[in-house]
Amino acid sequence: MMKLLKCEFMKTRRRYVLLSALAVTAVMLCWIYPDNYNEDFLRMAWMGSLYELPLVNSIFMPLLSIIVASRLCDIEHKNNMLRQLAVSEDRGRIYDVKLIYGLMIMLSCVFISWIMTIAFGYYAGFGGAVPIKLYILYLLFTLTPTVAVYIFQHIASLCFKNQAAAFFSGVIGTFFGVCSMFLPQLSTLRSLFIWSCYGALDFVGLFGWSKENRYKFAHFEVVGIDWRSFAVLVFICLAMYIAGREFFKRKEL
Amino acid sequence: MKNIVKTKGLTKSYKGACVVNDVDMNVREGRIYGFLGPNGAGKTTTLKMLLSLVRPTAGEIEIMGQPLSAGTRIHILRNIGSLIESPSYYGHLTGEENLRILAAVLDVPKSNIEKVLQIVRLDKQQGKKTSAYSLGMKQRLGLAGALLAFPKLLILDEPTNGLDPSGIQEMRELIKSFPGQYGMTVIVSSHLLSEIDRMAEDVGVIANGKMMYQGSLEGLHSLDRTKSLEEIFIDLTGRDQSL
Repeated sequence: MMKLLKCEFMKTRRRYVLLSALAVTAVMLCWIYPDNYNEDFLRMAWMGSLYELPLVNSIFMPLLSIIVASRLCDIEHKNNMLRQLAVSEDRGRIYDVKLIYGLMIMLSCVFISWIMTIAFGYYAGFGGAVPIKLYILYLLFTLTPTVAVYIFQHIASLCFKNQAAAFFSGVIGTFFGVCSMFLPQLSTLRSLFIWSCYGALDFVGLFGWSKENRYKFAHFEVVGIDWRSFAVLVFICLAMYIAGREFFKRKEL
Repeated sequence: MKNIVKTKGLTKSYKGACVVNDVDMNVREGRIYGFLGPNGAGKTTTLKMLLSLVRPTAGEIEIMGQPLSAGTRIHILRNIGSLIESPSYYGHLTGEENLRILAAVLDVPKSNIEKVLQIVRLDKQQGKKTSAYSLGMKQRLGLAGALLAFPKLLILDEPTNGLDPSGIQEMRELIKSFPGQYGMTVIVSSHLLSEIDRMAEDVGVIANGKMMYQGSLEGLHSLDRTKSLEEIFIDLTGRDQSL
């Protein structure tokens, strides 16, 4: 497996996949952090970030998945390399290695943005101590939907030569995922639709906010951790992985 | 002489249309087998079935004495080099980098890269990006990839397609040298009768998915001594547009 992973790294030379992913992550971070914060927000900004970040993730992480999966898989479709690989190696392993390599890039970006969030909190002077347990939980609840969305993009990009199909399905999924952030009443639907799981797993609520006073009398609170949605998402990940792998193995090239 | 490839009743249908129909193919070890047929006759589909790229609708395939199945597939395929339809390569990498990736996947020593680059005469161009290669160079790189593990069986689908006359001649001479120099069996498909006539020792003629003739090239000539090979081919295939 390590040998095949090295091959994946070699294949992406001069394709700047990691650099593209880091660039998108940098844009996301620039968007998250304004140059000045409202003082009322600042005193509870550690919790406030946990409340706001899932929305940003639901926009950027699926877009990043589209870019990474498409760039990694397109090199195999161009000039029939997939056919060459399929006569040299087990197709299941080709599928696995490409998925692992793509996930390594994606999860690195998630981890970097997580570290940067905490670092920025210290730099900007967020009030109180960092609630590290909640931040670890947030990391888990960001990684898992990202894995699910990436598996989907990996299947679409690897199994279909035309990358437009993967792109449009990803963009449509992202759009509905973002829309679902504003529809918390559709909780079952949100936990079944992989793009909306960033919102479904959001565990911080905002109370007391008003147009006039804004954050003056507001506070953030843990509203409940949705382990059921998390379990459903893990199951969806496994089901998509197995179905995609079988489809790829049976596909005629 | 034993058969390295044997198929029995090999059939492939797409939505009811039979592309390959009950083909019994026998390729003798150490020979060059010319797989001849007009465009759309079913040559590529047959070769893809031998490589497990396409699943047969019916029939059996035996390669190197082993039935081709999910369990034996990778073991068998590692002893086959192939070039199907058009050469495969990563355009953003150099020729040498392309072969390094294939060598790692196939688990063959890096020294083989230098050897095959010399065989296909690309050793002086190995540092160049393959997107800048000419079509002839890409074909030779594809051939180098197929040769990398020095397989027992080489399957080449229309390897001279798109080449200029000198490229065709060079490719032909290379292919002819493989059985003698490396003990390989070569299956080479073409719709060009003249190419197969100059290269192959055994021939399979396929038309409309059916094997119309199989045997030695001499045997094909002797089907009707009063006719030219072109006329015999037309009689067998019932078509003349591809000669």
